[in-house]
Amino acid sequence: MKVEFTPEQEALRTELRAYFNELMTPELRIECDRDMGEGGGPLWREALLKMGRDGWIGVGWPKELGGRGMSPIEQFIFVEEIMRAGYPFPFLTTESVGPQLAEHGNEWQKANIVPKILTGECLIAIGYSEPGAGTDLARLKTTAVKEGDEWVINGQKMWTSLAHFCDYVWLACRTDQNAEKPHRGISMFLVPTSDPGWSSTPVVTLGGVRTNATYYDNIRVTDDALVGELNKGWKLITGQLNRERLSLVNCGPTQQLFNGVVKWAEETELPEGGRLIDQPWVQMNLAKVRAGVEALKLVCYKQAWAMTEGTLDMADASAAKVYGSEFFIEVYRALGEVMEQMSLVSEHSPNAEQHASRVERLYRTASIITFGGGTNEIQRDIISAAGLWMPRATR
Amino acid sequence: MNFGFSEEQRDVQNLARQIFTDLVSPETLKASDDYAAERFDEALWGKLAEAGLLGVAIDEAYGGMGFGFMELGLLVEEVGRSIAPAPVIPALVSGALPIQKFGSDEQKQRLLPGVVSGKTLLTAALMEKFNENPASPKLTSAVAKDGGYSVSGTKLCVPFAHRAERMIVSAKTEGGVVVLLVDPKAQGVTLNEMKVTTFEPQYEVVLKDVAVAADDVLAQADEGASVMQWLAECTTAALCTHQVGVTDCAMRMTASYTAERKQFGVPIATFQAVGHRAANCFIDVECLRLNAYQAVSRLANGLSATNEVQIAKIWAGDVGHRVSYASQHLHGGMGIDRDYPLWRYCTWMRHNEMMLGSSAKNLAALGKRVAAGEAYCQ
Ligand SMILES: Cc1cc2nc3c(=O)[nH]c(=O)nc-3n(C[C@H](O)[C@H](O)[C@H](O)COP(=O)(O)OP(=O)(O)OC[C@H]3O[C@@H](n4cnc5c(N)ncnc54)[C@H](O)[C@@H]3O)c2cc1C
Ligand SMILES: Cc1cc2nc3c(=O)[nH]c(=O)nc-3n(C[C@H](O)[C@H](O)[C@H](O)COP(=O)(O)OP(=O)(O)OC[C@H]3O[C@@H](n4cnc5c(N)ncnc54)[C@H](O)[C@@H]3O)c2cc1C
Repeated sequence: MKVEFTPEQEALRTELRAYFNELMTPELRIECDRDMGEGGGPLWREALLKMGRDGWIGVGWPKELGGRGMSPIEQFIFVEEIMRAGYPFPFLTTESVGPQLAEHGNEWQKANIVPKILTGECLIAIGYSEPGAGTDLARLKTTAVKEGDEWVINGQKMWTSLAHFCDYVWLACRTDQNAEKPHRGISMFLVPTSDPGWSSTPVVTLGGVRTNATYYDNIRVTDDALVGELNKGWKLITGQLNRERLSLVNCGPTQQLFNGVVKWAEETELPEGGRLIDQPWVQMNLAKVRAGVEALKLVCYKQAWAMTEGTLDMADASAAKVYGSEFFIEVYRALGEVMEQMSLVSEHSPNAEQHASRVERLYRTASIITFGGGTNEIQRDIISAAGLWMPRATR
Repeated sequence: MNFGFSEEQRDVQNLARQIFTDLVSPETLKASDDYAAERFDEALWGKLAEAGLLGVAIDEAYGGMGFGFMELGLLVEEVGRSIAPAPVIPALVSGALPIQKFGSDEQKQRLLPGVVSGKTLLTAALMEKFNENPASPKLTSAVAKDGGYSVSGTKLCVPFAHRAERMIVSAKTEGGVVVLLVDPKAQGVTLNEMKVTTFEPQYEVVLKDVAVAADDVLAQADEGASVMQWLAECTTAALCTHQVGVTDCAMRMTASYTAERKQFGVPIATFQAVGHRAANCFIDVECLRLNAYQAVSRLANGLSATNEVQIAKIWAGDVGHRVSYASQHLHGGMGIDRDYPLWRYCTWMRHNEMMLGSSAKNLAALGKRVAAGEAYCQ
């Protein structure tokens, strides 16, 4: 037990902080803001390729796979720093689908997809949810049917985020209609968005974040596109979601935002004189956020450490996801209160203030991950069952 | 970043858990309910001494195991898990650690071997009325006398003062805060019994011109405040790991109970509302655990820990409160029935919540540090 960074980890943090400081040019920042923190623009792509060339994307990956051979803790430090810097990092591809492909992919995928993920050349969207299958994902209807050597894919997905600029969709399809349980008849495919049978329409959300409805019309792929074993897709889905959870609740952006608001409150004078930060209620809000973010940091690092040790615990992963997602909402509220009415003024307003307008938007996006990435009700079911051995109702 | 336990740490945990499992039970705890008997189990204390655990963080030179504060923190967690009637925090954390770190050779020789063998009990007088900061005593003062000091004032809620060989007392002087080792049997010391929620023996200690000899001065005015600050941080961090043990046990008791208890023909654990409230406890306890371990780990390694200790105490207060009420509620009436073991845990969750500063007080203190630019996220 030693809850502090090693000197090497401290050095890595310092190095990365300087690296991203340089990488995040004002032009790139403007482009990322325009894209609602989702990325996908030309400067964003250029920066991702540069990170790939500089060997950062796979810093914690094994050397055999093209990584730098450090541990998941260093990988987490990298993602934390990049998110602190405000770069919309495509962590779904690099931190969740990528490792799943490296572990369970076939020869073609390992030769053609995995290396490109580490060079920043390949982006992958997640295609699970459908209009009729959300939390109860196992009821999904999109089908893949074998015809000769090919699979023919048909169906519709909902909320396929980032798909409009991704190269592939990591797609969950029904491959056995007669499976004794619905989740035993699901397989995973990598479907190219360049296929003429693929299309998408935008769905705009409260926070301005764009997601997509995606359509699959007689798309034909070979066994190269099948990931893992036939009808064994459910394990790949849950494995991907387990990995995704850690990235969803990364503590980097909140730490950065907190530091920014503290600095702002130090510099802000009240009309009646005195600094805003000397108000007791302001200090109380800031202290609550500070105490909460410390826990989030530790929860995240414990996960990264457990991944290094190969002891990632299901209940802990779910606890991290629930805590982080619900804490973020409280953060935006508490920091918004500190900045008063300015936290309702959007970044498009001429007199917007940097941190306040960020909170204006973040407050509108904060619900997504309480239900996305596996809804918190199911996470709590997992925690009480796997963490506390409490019996569950049968569904 | 290493969240794993070393072999030595596992040994300490297992040894302690074994002793407490063998010697502490609802039946033995019952003996001291409502102060019917003194809440101190001599046989248990002897067993801890025999196993070497009282010296877990004491140097080998004084007969101890020579491990550090991290290992002691893990022992304290086990005391919490069993709510054992063993004054490990007052004696080993607040009492022995500062003597080992700041004491003279003579003081260490005189007091530490007895601590390890179980013969000598130490304690510290950390609180005054409306003052929970021992680094800044308001109601106790000392003047130099005969190479030592004469000290007067009143301290509150001093655990085990009646059994202590020496109690650590901070007092203000013209030049700053001094730290003294006061003999509770010395002339001018009055111990007034207090009856508190946990039934722990605690005393109001009234000092009237108590003479403290030169060799019982632990720290002079130039460093007394920083000694007490360190002592307070160590004790607070220890209260947090105690809270980890108490809350973890109460939560797991609740999980087991709801898995067995049937209503509407099914275990009540299968109701989502019940499972989710227990899941909230799990998340809470994990957050507390990590913050408590971080505080202890930093103190053990000599790093600055003021922010981390305050944050851990905020969690200890909030989580103690929430787990206590969730556990009581999810048990229904059984949770508060004195023939069922949960209720005693609730009193200790409250003790750890309030001792040396509540969540509100620590939030205010942390907020001040934020405003002073001392608590940015690194
Ligand atoms: C911006 C955005 C981006 C997204 N990105 C992606 C993506 O990239 N890929 C993808 O596949 N999906 C994505 N999603 C979809 C997301 O994963 C789903 O919204 C989520 O799984 C919930 O499904 P649902 O919306 O159908 O809600 P429902 O499943 O209808 O749930 C509604 C409510 O009922 C509750 N509920 C449901 N079942 C239970 C139960 N058994 N017990 C207790 N409560 C229950 C839920 O917790 C929730 O509060 C995205 C969604 C949004 C809004
Ligand atoms: C001090 C005291 C005085 C009392 N006085 C009286 C009195 O004068 N007369 C009298 O008749 N009774 C009295 N009671 C009993 C009291 O009404 C019961 O304790 C109460 O009805 C709960 O029942 P239980 O204790 O068996 O808990 P349980 O019914 O076992 O409940 C345990 C937990 O499971 C939860 N739970 C149970 N079913 C569900 C469900 N379907 N969905 C979700 N959660 C569920 C409960 O909310 C609770 O948190 C008293 C109890 C106490 C402690």
